[in-house]
Amino acid sequence: MAAGAGHEPVDGGGESAERLFELPPELAIDTDVALRVIVGFIRNQLRQAGFSRGLLGLSGGIDSALVAFLVADAIGPENLLCVLMPYRTSSSESVEHGRLVVGRLGCPSDAVDISPIVDGYFGRDGEEGAGGAAATEATPLRRGNFMARARMCVLYDRSVEWGGLVVGTGNKTESLIGYTTLFGDSACAFNPIGDLYKSQVRQVAAAVGVPEEIIRKAPSADLWPGQTDEAEAGFHYPELDRLLFWMIDKRRSDEELLAMGFLEAQIERVKRLVAVSEFKRQVPPVAKLGPRTTGVDYLYPRRRPGSARR
Amino acid sequence: MHPLRIVLAQLAPRLGMLDENLARHMEALASARAGGADLVVFPELGLTGYQLQDLAAEVAMRVDDPRLAGLAAATVGLSAIVSFVEEASDHRLFISAALLEDGAVRFVHRKLFLPTYGLFDERRFFAAGDRLRTVDSRLGPRLGIAVCEDFWHLAVPETLALDGAQILINVSSSPGRDLAAMHEVGLGTAASWRNLMRTYAQLTTSFVVFCNRVGVDETISFWGGSEVIAPSGETIFTAPLFDEGLHFVDIELGDVRRERISLPLLRDERPELHLRELRRILAERTEMAIDAASDPPDDRPQPGASEPS
Repeated sequence: MAAGAGHEPVDGGGESAERLFELPPELAIDTDVALRVIVGFIRNQLRQAGFSRGLLGLSGGIDSALVAFLVADAIGPENLLCVLMPYRTSSSESVEHGRLVVGRLGCPSDAVDISPIVDGYFGRDGEEGAGGAAATEATPLRRGNFMARARMCVLYDRSVEWGGLVVGTGNKTESLIGYTTLFGDSACAFNPIGDLYKSQVRQVAAAVGVPEEIIRKAPSADLWPGQTDEAEAGFHYPELDRLLFWMIDKRRSDEELLAMGFLEAQIERVKRLVAVSEFKRQVPPVAKLGPRTTGVDYLYPRRRPGSARR
Repeated sequence: MHPLRIVLAQLAPRLGMLDENLARHMEALASARAGGADLVVFPELGLTGYQLQDLAAEVAMRVDDPRLAGLAAATVGLSAIVSFVEEASDHRLFISAALLEDGAVRFVHRKLFLPTYGLFDERRFFAAGDRLRTVDSRLGPRLGIAVCEDFWHLAVPETLALDGAQILINVSSSPGRDLAAMHEVGLGTAASWRNLMRTYAQLTTSFVVFCNRVGVDETISFWGGSEVIAPSGETIFTAPLFDEGLHFVDIELGDVRRERISLPLLRDERPELHLRELRRILAERTEMAIDAASDPPDDRPQPGASEPS
């Protein structure tokens, strides 16, 4: 993607001499207003559901670190459980950064090694797992998806004894291009940052004091060693965010995007990614048979009176 | 002349919890009364919450509902504007705002414009009102009452002013969105509303009172920022964004006269011209034959006539 005419990235991180992250100017938001909205949203979601606690999977990356800071701010760190769920090949830096966030917030934390779960299915060192012989040859994609869903299982199990709701940590960029695992990392009770592009996540993260090393490092799903989002998917976040912003939020046509300097191949590719992942962003369709069908003509607010569990 | 004391009840209604919201309205009325209020303004659907969907029918009240009468009974010596889901006798549901005065339901305005685009889906659940009238009030000046989207249509404030309103009141549940660093308050919605209300106050040389809710319904956060604008277009008061609160604002009704004497825009309005052109536009839109006899001579070049080269 080429930078559009007149596009001058501004330096994130305010007055610091060294640039912390690249923030396309059209994506810059008023972080004070964003924090007011997000913190109010978190408190309301929990209150309306009858909960006072939350929990999340802390990967060591910026998205879950930011959500941990936001939830701690909204309901107090003592009401947030951060669960670290490394696999044996996860980068040690991920765990260190997870611990850094926990230490900074002073919130309860828990560590669950998901290796036995994952290896128990795919097998390990030539030994078959529950998935049988074929599963030992599983692609990194299958293994990655399984890990994401194993973490979901652990979080939802922990949520029962913790007595809290699972807070989502996915951002708008990955949701729009479908860089998520359905019923895996995208599973949650509510998501405070799902309408923030990655560049905006960085901006808000800097504003709430997420440690710089976490903001600075290359985003990674850490599903296999050395994996980074940008290398795997072949994009640069600030440019991808800009393209999505103009394409989706600002409804620019292909011709207009081309005139802004975006490349045809990138436009086509991103449009395809967005279209092909539509299913991941929606509740599965139900065959319409009866007089009133959930999601079609039975439409109640999720937090209707009487919906609170306690 | 005593100033008129307006109370902006910038509340966060509980979604679908009519009894709880009624109780909070009663408390707010009591506090406002204790503070010497003349007029208390509550936000759109303050008695029910906004994102009701199929709950709308379950929280609907008839205008003669005893619960509304109970609220009205708390307005002896006081005026209040409250908003709720109104069920008509034919069972249509409206988003309504009622003027309660001296113990009675004095007037009801049914929301005229129901946004059904973007994040809004009002037309699916509600019927649109079809009457725009001002109302005489115990407060003295005539009031013009509108609900949220009604003020995104120029004809509404204009008609209310021509019908004699000196105080235009808009009650809203405006969802905050379009977060950006470039806006006045970091929120596109708030910046747009502020522009509109200042403009209406200035052009109608009337007070504009805006009461917007706060709190969260489902995914939507309402931004508050309730305001009172003088007939000059100057902002007298702006409430904080996102915080609940009762805000007492005194206005000088004499400001309307002063402004209208020095800036006689209303005097110079041409409603007959407007009406004539509106009739023509409507006829053209519906491709009906224009009644030539009722039209003034038109000597403009007709389409297809030769143009000077």
